[in-house]
Amino acid sequence: MTRLSLRNPLLTPEQIAASPSQRRGMPAALEADLRAYGCHLIAAAGVVLRVPQPVMACAQVLLQRFYYVAALQDFGLRATVLGALFLACKAEESPQSIRNIINVVDIVVKRDRGLPEIVTDGYDTEYYGMKNDMVIAEIQILRRLGFNVQVELPYGLLVNYLRSLELTDQARVPQLAWNYVNDLLRTPVYVCFQPETIACGAIYLAAHECSAALPMSPPWWVLFDASGEDVVMVAKAARALYLRPQPRIMPLTEDELDMQLKGTLEQHVEALRRQDRESEARPAPGHAGPGDPARPRSAPSRGRSHSRPRHRPRQSPYRRNK
Amino acid sequence: MEKYQKIEKLGEGTYGIVYKAQNRETSEVVALKRIRLDNEEEGVPCTAIREISLLKELKHPNIVGLFDVLHTEKKLTLVFEFMDSDLKKFVDASGGDLEPLTVKHLLYQLLCGVAYCHRNRVLHRDLKPQNLLINKRGDLKLGDFGLARAFGIPVRSYSHEVVTLWYRAPDVLMGSRQYDTSIDLWSVGCIFAEMATGRPFFAGSSVDDQILHIFKIMGTPVDPLAPGYVPAPGDSEGPCRLWPGCSQLPEWRAGFPAFPGTPLEPLLPKLSSRGVDLLRLLLAYAPEERISAEQALQHPYFDDLRPAGGG
Repeated sequence: MTRLSLRNPLLTPEQIAASPSQRRGMPAALEADLRAYGCHLIAAAGVVLRVPQPVMACAQVLLQRFYYVAALQDFGLRATVLGALFLACKAEESPQSIRNIINVVDIVVKRDRGLPEIVTDGYDTEYYGMKNDMVIAEIQILRRLGFNVQVELPYGLLVNYLRSLELTDQARVPQLAWNYVNDLLRTPVYVCFQPETIACGAIYLAAHECSAALPMSPPWWVLFDASGEDVVMVAKAARALYLRPQPRIMPLTEDELDMQLKGTLEQHVEALRRQDRESEARPAPGHAGPGDPARPRSAPSRGRSHSRPRHRPRQSPYRRNK
Repeated sequence: MEKYQKIEKLGEGTYGIVYKAQNRETSEVVALKRIRLDNEEEGVPCTAIREISLLKELKHPNIVGLFDVLHTEKKLTLVFEFMDSDLKKFVDASGGDLEPLTVKHLLYQLLCGVAYCHRNRVLHRDLKPQNLLINKRGDLKLGDFGLARAFGIPVRSYSHEVVTLWYRAPDVLMGSRQYDTSIDLWSVGCIFAEMATGRPFFAGSSVDDQILHIFKIMGTPVDPLAPGYVPAPGDSEGPCRLWPGCSQLPEWRAGFPAFPGTPLEPLLPKLSSRGVDLLRLLLAYAPEERISAEQALQHPYFDDLRPAGGG
């Protein structure tokens, strides 16, 4: 990755052409969906955690960067989502406890999968597994990115550009452009272009959508150090994002990825839903007593963690302490 | 099998033990900073993440070099360029009596390092004599970037509790959260005065006490924008006392005692009048009027360093 002082590291053309996951045989479309889903999880969790937008954006960019130096086949999506959020909260000075981050990401996943939104028990092996994954993911992201976790974001630039183009009193343009800047975090645009270009791409698309006229001689983006070709590429990336529906059931671990490739992931999630319905009918062994501080009052103990036969994950690199 | 042979323990850093060590292959002497990773609830310490991510990017003769980051089972080891001492020990060792030319050389290097950080859009936020490393050749380098951070445009509000009290800018002390590069320059001013006198310039024991220490010497700031402001004869003495907008700061109190301020020259007998002038510009109350590192390097105080090619 090339790097000019503290600017964002950008990919080389070779890196863009073949990501580690694709080199290991993953179809490009599946990788794009997985990246977008990971970023969706971060954004949804960030809203519940009430962390500032720059924290979520930083975590999303870290995830995008990470999967250009590591393969999804080796580093499951959920662990990376957890590690990236954990890291971004610290890098952006908005620290969150491990427990909060895990609970919230877990609940968002359950909601997407149509599973009951019950907080995983703090003594559950599933919780410990996620915690271990998260701590290892954090250090793996740091190591593989060479500690390049400073992320320069386009929000400030966007506001300044909108102001100098006198677009701030337009009703829709600023909001639309802001949305594009956020949604583009789900694409690899942030590892291909500097923030100036991303801000311009978002304005380009928003202005186009609202038929707002902008100076073209010389083209306005020249003022903001962006090339027309790049700006159009950013706009296209945003457009492409809206043409693809985001699947809600995506493989989150290496095992689930195997299932996805065999076409059995939907069945697996359906089985989880069935188990939950069954365990609801069964009496709870109730290992977590009323004095358990980790269990929120709104989620009564149903002993799921004991009654549900758990899928044994194979050894993943996240579980090995490298 | 270890690449580095430990020589001695140097002390405890922000987040772990620091050792002097030697590279077995090259014989190069380095400082190793050990960061334990066994804190189950914290993961990699926040300060370590910031320090490594910034120092890996910042390469300058006046910034301590981070050569390598080693990751083993339960710890991270940062391999730093070895420095013999720090500015605090250096001033103490001289009995608080540094040569005026030494002070000038050290300040020049400090400003070069700060200017480089600011050019690369990094705030140090914790400049103090203990964080300024010195070697036997008299080179000064900024160290300990545990509280530093990169800033974007525009600068948003950062965490309030940064910069050791004695070197903390008055706008930060009074609750401003929109601070920028100017906070580092206030710290530089405090360090400059400390080098010249051998003692901390504003040594407060609490935030309130710190504010009073500053007011006693620099004078209680006056807000020309406050309603009912009437220009008084003493206000315009020195560029520092007028501070537009200070009465709007969260921790500003109308009941602050009104100190007229003290002439700086008698407090700093070792500084030339140019030196005192530069100090005044560094310790300007209004952050937007405080001199930048780049401008400070051009100040006439350094004229006699420049023909020789700088510090």
